[in-house]
Amino acid sequence: MVSEEGQLYTMEGVAAGIIMLLAAYIAVSTTGIYTTGDTHIPDMQLEQLGSDVLAMMDTPDTAGDSKSDLENFVNTNNGDEFKKMFLSYCNATTSGDLDNLHMSAVVVYRSGGEIREHQFVAPDDNTWTGRENAVRVTRWVQLPTTRPAGMPTDMPNDRPKAVLVEVLLWRA
Amino acid sequence: MACMNEEGQWIVLMGLLVAVGIFFLALIINQSALVGQTTAEGVLEFPKNDIRDLRAAVFDYVDYVDRFGNANNRSSQAVRQDIIAISLERKNAVVDFDVESPQNISGRLLYPVTIHYNNGVTKYDERVYY
Repeated sequence: MVSEEGQLYTMEGVAAGIIMLLAAYIAVSTTGIYTTGDTHIPDMQLEQLGSDVLAMMDTPDTAGDSKSDLENFVNTNNGDEFKKMFLSYCNATTSGDLDNLHMSAVVVYRSGGEIREHQFVAPDDNTWTGRENAVRVTRWVQLPTTRPAGMPTDMPNDRPKAVLVEVLLWRA
Repeated sequence: MACMNEEGQWIVLMGLLVAVGIFFLALIINQSALVGQTTAEGVLEFPKNDIRDLRAAVFDYVDYVDRFGNANNRSSQAVRQDIIAISLERKNAVVDFDVESPQNISGRLLYPVTIHYNNGVTKYDERVYY
């Protein structure tokens, strides 16, 4: 050490530097706000909700009932009732308006060597999601040999089929 | 401050410590919005519902096989091919399953079922008597 004078000047300088750096860091990191959408927590909850609703709809109502609601809706190509039931099961409000959830659905089937889609529930207009992500939930449904009325004509009509019901669910 | 009056340096130092402490707490509050992100991403990535649904579909298929003959006829194989092909195309999962002829397990005729599932992240293999 050459001279011990002026040590406190050095300490003050270091302390002031640290404080300035911290202030700059805090200022920068608070402007880049992590929204809850970026953390995927609502996505996870929405996906779980959708999966549970589909699983519930794929369970027959009563003992001995051979077909679930979901199977019945697909078998009769009844997208409107499917949408109504799905959204009312998803709904978490106790009174007043329904939750602001929106959905569309397709039925995916195999035709020969190709995978095709049939629009089961069309998305309603003007329901773009802003910040939140949409999630996709799926459920297998087994259809009988005869092609259900209203399904596309390239769906096989001579064998039983397994089709995948895909629901796209978002909040807007 | 330095050299002008050396008294009260401790008070200045404590002030500095408190300031640093407040900065630190503010940082913790700032980061608290991230709590649960990794958990949520882990849950989203793990295909729990896909595997459950696949099992349910395979067991439905076994029910069908049980009612309408063996697992090797054209109809049964077509349903099996549906599940395998659509899984690969829409779920990005390599899926395979086999249903063997029923065996006598503790006095009941049960089908040995082998299920394989792999989506590149999660691998699931199961052999179950249904």
